[in-house]
Amino acid sequence: MKDVCKPKGHAHECDCGKECLKVEGDRAVIDLSLSPAQPMHYTTLNCVMRKAMRRGCSSIELKGVMGQRYLASTASAPDLYIAVHGTPGNDLGAFLNGPTIEVFGNAQDMTGNTMNSGRIIVHGNAWDVTGLAARGGQILVKGDTGYRVGIHMKEFGGSRPTMVIGGTAKDYLGEYMAGGTILVLGLGGGAPVGRSLGAGMHGGRIFVRGTVGLEQLGPGAAIVPLSPDDEKEVRGLLGEFENAFGAEVPGEMSEYVKVAPSSSRPFSGYYDKTNV
Amino acid sequence: MNDRKDREVRTDRLGMPVQAENYTASRPPGWQGQLGGCGIASCISLKGGRIDGDRIARMLTIMEERENGLGAGYACYGLFPERRDQYCLQFFFDDEEGKQAVEDFLDGRLDILHDEKVFLRERSTISPPYPLVWRYFANVPHAREWRGTRDLGEEDYLVELVQHINERVPKAFCVSSGKDMAVFKGNGYSYEIADLYDLGRYSGTMWLSHSRFPTNSPAWWAGAHPLSLLDWGVCHNGEITSYGVNRKLVEMNGYKCTVLTDTEVVTYLWDLLVRRNGLPTEVAAFVMAPSTFQEISLLPPAERRLAEWLRITYKEAFLNGPFSIIVGRSQPDISLIALADRKKLRPMIAGLSPNEEVAYCASEESAIRIVEPDARTWAPGAGNPFIAVAGKGIVRRGTEPSFQGVSL
Amino acid sequence: MSETPPTKRLDHRLPERFLPIVNYDLCRVCRRCVNDCSYQALEFRESKVVASGGCVACGRCIAICPANCIEIRPVPPQFAPHGNWSERSRRSILAQASSGGVLLSSCGADDEHPAIFDDLLLDAAQVTNPSIDPLREPVETVTYLGRRPGRLEVCDGKVMVREDDTPLIRMDMPLMFGHISLGSISYNAQQALFMAAKELNIVAGSGEGGLHPDFYQYADHICSEVASGRFGIKPEYLKEVAAVEIKIGQGAKPGHGGHLPGEKVTTMISETRMIPRGTDALSPYPHHDIYSIEDLAQLISVLKESTEYRLPVGVKIAAVHNVGAIASGIVRAGADFLTVDGFKGGTGAAPRVIRDHAGLPVEVAIAAVDRRLTQEGLRNRVTVCAGGGIRSSADMIKALALGADVVMVSTSAMVAMGCRVCQQCHRGLCSWGIATQRDDLTSRLDPNVAAARIVRLFRAWNEELKEVLGAMGIDAVESLVGNRDRLRYRGPNPKIAEVMNVKHIGEGWG
Ligand code: SF4
Ligand code: SF4
Repeated sequence: MKDVCKPKGHAHECDCGKECLKVEGDRAVIDLSLSPAQPMHYTTLNCVMRKAMRRGCSSIELKGVMGQRYLASTASAPDLYIAVHGTPGNDLGAFLNGPTIEVFGNAQDMTGNTMNSGRIIVHGNAWDVTGLAARGGQILVKGDTGYRVGIHMKEFGGSRPTMVIGGTAKDYLGEYMAGGTILVLGLGGGAPVGRSLGAGMHGGRIFVRGTVGLEQLGPGAAIVPLSPDDEKEVRGLLGEFENAFGAEVPGEMSEYVKVAPSSSRPFSGYYDKTNV
Repeated sequence: MNDRKDREVRTDRLGMPVQAENYTASRPPGWQGQLGGCGIASCISLKGGRIDGDRIARMLTIMEERENGLGAGYACYGLFPERRDQYCLQFFFDDEEGKQAVEDFLDGRLDILHDEKVFLRERSTISPPYPLVWRYFANVPHAREWRGTRDLGEEDYLVELVQHINERVPKAFCVSSGKDMAVFKGNGYSYEIADLYDLGRYSGTMWLSHSRFPTNSPAWWAGAHPLSLLDWGVCHNGEITSYGVNRKLVEMNGYKCTVLTDTEVVTYLWDLLVRRNGLPTEVAAFVMAPSTFQEISLLPPAERRLAEWLRITYKEAFLNGPFSIIVGRSQPDISLIALADRKKLRPMIAGLSPNEEVAYCASEESAIRIVEPDARTWAPGAGNPFIAVAGKGIVRRGTEPSFQGVSL
Repeated sequence: MSETPPTKRLDHRLPERFLPIVNYDLCRVCRRCVNDCSYQALEFRESKVVASGGCVACGRCIAICPANCIEIRPVPPQFAPHGNWSERSRRSILAQASSGGVLLSSCGADDEHPAIFDDLLLDAAQVTNPSIDPLREPVETVTYLGRRPGRLEVCDGKVMVREDDTPLIRMDMPLMFGHISLGSISYNAQQALFMAAKELNIVAGSGEGGLHPDFYQYADHICSEVASGRFGIKPEYLKEVAAVEIKIGQGAKPGHGGHLPGEKVTTMISETRMIPRGTDALSPYPHHDIYSIEDLAQLISVLKESTEYRLPVGVKIAAVHNVGAIASGIVRAGADFLTVDGFKGGTGAAPRVIRDHAGLPVEVAIAAVDRRLTQEGLRNRVTVCAGGGIRSSADMIKALALGADVVMVSTSAMVAMGCRVCQQCHRGLCSWGIATQRDDLTSRLDPNVAAARIVRLFRAWNEELKEVLGAMGIDAVESLVGNRDRLRYRGPNPKIAEVMNVKHIGEGWG
């Protein structure tokens, strides 16, 4: 394979990790404060991370991240663990395919964009468009999320994305949703979800702890009772949330509302195919 | 000749050439306005303290991915404590001729108390021409007549003068005209513009800033953000899809569109709705980013009536399409308003320093974290304004119900 | 979403549009036509093949009839003549009043908007320069797709070549197949396209439906598409192909999303798209991570990071009114190539109101993009691809001369396979086995034969291109690209010539 490690097309070239990357055994530590370019450019950081991955590191710890985008995009090693200290930029873990990313801080927008598998654990908030088009893996957010989270998540076969939001989500949660599970806990008060919830959803399920008004539902979404299987799934996700964050979550199932598609074909009958 | 140097071609981050043609005060010929995206950042000292220019520059610069070197700018409020009650008119001139023309025009129309050249540092990365940047401190005289109308209000009079200059006086453009504030902008990356004006030499109570990613050049210094009229300063990210409609409303009310961008119209709308029509800030915000009729139908009766009538009355002021804007004003108090469209299609994060003295608003969290690592951050809601006022603190976090605090 | 459509249709019957006529003198009553008509427009009654209604003029029966005894007649106007209320306008109202639905159609806009291509005339060499015989002398059509560096740096007298910085694809002709997804067309049809692309050494678009595992063997000639539905995007879909293209829009339906109805989501489609069988495959109208130009820059960047800067990353947009400025922004956002899809571009399904009324003809769009990128000093950095209603080599040549580096074709490749442009793709009943997922229908299309036909067609077009180049005295296609001086306009509206920066007929060199 060609060595493509050199960052391109911008002025922040450095010798890729000479200063900031330390590898001990299979553990890598990348300390961004040691980089000659400040703040370190994302192309450099991603390049250093790829270098660590190529060396077969099983854990990469990033220190001092400040807005660098696209971290670990398409990273594919299933056993890789990446710890991010600081504020990762947009598109954290895009197309992620296996690794676990743990963020100690807030994430920005589009975290886990089109992810395939793996886990993203955010010990803070993760803002707009988190989990866009995810088709597998898990996203756990301890705090709040923003608008249009979990849009067009989809499932297939054994791949089924799940997302747990400890705080709240805003409008258009689960729009176009075609599979997977979103659980919103609403810890810390405030309305757990916003308007246009599950607009046009035709697969998957959204569980909300708290109340959901009918006026909050988008077209194609309906409130349905939880089945015993649903309760099992919610309990399982709560367990994962508690494990990840060490936080206690009220597990009284009567507090949970399930939102599901009213049909898997929300727009059938919408079109007229007459040959005019 | 081997050592012949190629003509320096300015390139952007990706090494793409940036059009050499560069206009300062005069509008580029054939200018049709500009589309594009960007990054915005702002900070305000809630106690009325001072924040130096380096801080805002760091905030904006970290979002480098959001710009492409075709425009950036800053606005500082609470900038001239000794001249707090005078209007500060800051100009771009193509050359001395433009300056002379403006001075001739203002002679007898404004009482100019002081004028000075605005410091500009040559930068190798920003290709000339540079504008001549000049500021005038002025009072508005008692006798105010414009085109046969006597006794115009001070501010309306000033608006007429500024718009006349921008429309009619060649080689000159008034980039800001409010009390206790000024705008520093130009054609370049955020860090280039900060360095060009040496922002570190300024400090103020509030800063707004903006970096641009237009889809097309030429570069026009005066067309960069913030756009300003009186003490209003507006930085805007997004594209208003209702521009043609909004423009009609401001033109019907006597505003002249000279920059031909949606942001210009947004600036005039704030002036029209809040200064001239006297709407409370949060109500003006509702007008620009209203709730849907379905949501309105769920409001309590008094609020529903207000909301419906706002939509009916001001339908041309509804800003459709994705936007997030940061708006500043110095009158009556220095205040920061941040607003995203009603679906929140553009990013906006607010933050507060741990000692609760400085509030922030920016496109990305990292812009806040780089200057305030331990800030508390939150996301103001769709169409829900964040309002902070120096001396009063955060008046609205942007998470409250639409008309909270509005007398009905 | 609109009101729920009425459950009981309030139908008014519409007159037939086409009538299959069987010549009973010749008919051998083999009934092949009855069996092959997927629209069930023929039936066997009282020992005769008779029309039973619903014929769409797909031409299948004509092609398979061993006695050559079927003829399809367009039904003459059945409504009182009216200059304003066309037959179609009345049919549309009647249909919609019955169904309450949004009228759906497929293929490109079929209203009789005259093609600007037909108003352009090509130049040829006479006296002042010689024409070239392409059969005996080299006339080159090699074309590169991707970003170009703009200039090569010279360090101490050494010209530096940095291949890594600008990944490019080399193709044998200035042609690519547009994005037609598996789902909108059948496995066999897509395989035929990929096989032909490989044989022709050009690139074919994957469409937005992911890539079937069997098709990775053609990956070197596939440009994978990242559309708003994000179907089937796994690491290999991004990394193993020749190029990646972000689809913002499609010429046939600018600003509209995609909708593959659940009945087309078969087991195979569901596996490739990675969604459950039988659910609608919806592509949101916008990308929900792109609401602005800097967001596009972000998606381009993350794709470049993900592919480690080894592949060209392009952006496809529908031709719309501001296309010049948008194109410039896309290039500044980092796209290595840019595809502009014109108003007449094809589609597997689109609301008629958008297909027929929104967008910009590709001819004008190409000229606008070429001119704007030139003005901005960007044209020599990026590859411009354009298509949408390219019907012949002449259209292709004119598109090149207007300023496209690469011409995108889709419908013409489908016609090569057998498509008759009957505009029924959205019904999933394609009798030619192209726009359908029904096994009995898809098995009618032999990918080897179809691929061979596509290869022959475009080899012939390429020869015609060379003939024209030779006649113009040009021996390499790059000297034609954007060479609007070799075009003249002879149409009804000189303003069109002006905005395209093409001289009027009769105007010479100066
Ligand atoms: S096969 Fe096609 S052309 Fe022949 S009758 Fe059927 S629909 Fe008509
Ligand atoms: S692909 Fe099939 S259904 Fe579509 S136009 Fe061609 S022949 Fe008709």
